[in-house]
Amino acid sequence: MPIYLYIDRGTFVHRLHPTVKVFALFVMFWSVYWVDNPLALAPVGLVMLWIAQLTDSWPNFYRLRWLFAILVFTTTIAWMVFYRRGAVLVDVPIFHVSRLSLVFGIGRGIKLAELLAASVLFLSTTKIEEFTYGLQRMRVPYRVSFAISLSFRLVPLFIDSAVTIVDAQRLRGYDFNEGGPIERVRRYVPVVIPVFMGALRKANNMAMALEARGFGFSHEPTTFIDYPVTGADIIAFAFLIALGTLSFMLYWTGLGGIGPLK
Amino acid sequence: MSDLRLMWRNTRMVVLCAISAALYAAVLVPFKVVPLIPGVTELRPANAIPIVCSFLFGPAAAWGSAIGNMIGDFFGGVSPGDIFGFFANLAYGWIPYKVWELIGRGQSPISRSPLGILKYVIACLAASVLCADLVGWADNVLVIRPFAMLGNVIIFNNMVSALVLSPFILAAVYPRVKKGRMLYTDVMPEVKLKPVGIRAFGFALLIAGEGGAWICGNLLSTGYWAPKFLPAWMIVAPYDKPVAIIVGPFILLAFAGLFMM
Repeated sequence: MPIYLYIDRGTFVHRLHPTVKVFALFVMFWSVYWVDNPLALAPVGLVMLWIAQLTDSWPNFYRLRWLFAILVFTTTIAWMVFYRRGAVLVDVPIFHVSRLSLVFGIGRGIKLAELLAASVLFLSTTKIEEFTYGLQRMRVPYRVSFAISLSFRLVPLFIDSAVTIVDAQRLRGYDFNEGGPIERVRRYVPVVIPVFMGALRKANNMAMALEARGFGFSHEPTTFIDYPVTGADIIAFAFLIALGTLSFMLYWTGLGGIGPLK
Repeated sequence: MSDLRLMWRNTRMVVLCAISAALYAAVLVPFKVVPLIPGVTELRPANAIPIVCSFLFGPAAAWGSAIGNMIGDFFGGVSPGDIFGFFANLAYGWIPYKVWELIGRGQSPISRSPLGILKYVIACLAASVLCADLVGWADNVLVIRPFAMLGNVIIFNNMVSALVLSPFILAAVYPRVKKGRMLYTDVMPEVKLKPVGIRAFGFALLIAGEGGAWICGNLLSTGYWAPKFLPAWMIVAPYDKPVAIIVGPFILLAFAGLFMM
């Protein structure tokens, strides 16, 4: 079962320094956060489309296409219930359908879709070891980043055993979709318990193996992986600063707002 | 609070943290049972894992819950609100065993007595409400989603798993883990509890803070309460400023209480 989004390509985005990639994720969040108007969100959206094309990340976007659509739709609907401002265009119970609530809701939906797109791009171009390296460079303690890295590594292992157990139970005629929502949750008990016990059996051996290899001896362990800073990293860094500044200027000048109420 | 820090010195606790996180993410990613709000949240059996792990592995489960949720977010998309989601899930895995240490009085969490069940529900509810408060508050302040939408769905979601799934898993797993001397009290005997009085006061602050945050968050984000002491320009949809100003201190109070426990 494929769970990781990483797509192995040799593009310059893939080769960027891990710290630059983590910083890029932060800048994308920052840039999207300051802008409300759907049109003003376009520059960041275009940059992301360009990067998606460059890095050949479209398979991941295709995989999550329904999530994108549902996210924009439900967010727009939700804000039409809670954002009760502006003159009502159509009288619908519960909803407040006005030009302002529509623009605000669609803007929020696009915003969330762009945030999701930023994370998809990040995961499509970043390996787990690069992510943990980036965290270490950002002064996250080694033991914490090691735990994060180990968790990422263990997830596919546990998913595999969970899926195997689900298949085994199905073969025995066990129906996971039987009953109402609560009953359907309860029916996962025979899956979770064996996965849990299997995981616990690994814990002791894992701790001993780690200590046998000197885990915890040094706060800054040596590593085989080295990520040198290149010219592309500096250019990318400058570009990201410019993008973040542009978005903040859109907010500052009011161009990124949704109208006179902003 | 020292338990959250001290656990990183213990290799076995680091491994248990990674295992809790991976288990949470492994059940979170493939098994999404019923969508509650499509694209936002769904009824998921994975929410039982942090509760079970909390009673077994204590502080390791707290960090495991936070990291596991982060991994889950990475497979479904991250947003600025997920930074708060990290701390909300930390609290979700941290509160059950802290509350149980206080109100359980040495009782096993798999006790089937009416009082034992009531205590278990209180521990899970306390964890679910603070988790929901923090995520709902952050999403409303960042104007991503209203507090009333997420704040209530998360409590419902977490409580369904905690009541329907966790007791069965705990009943099967707890005796084995205890026999294998892998409970957090066995792995980290050096962690000492604070005096009961301080912990009880902390618990009172936790309940007052999270209860206040939940009530105010719901009233403010739906526009049912317009505080007179705030300027009129602040009290307009999406109510991000009133929620930030009024709900924020309640959440801080709840965390202050949690740190005292």
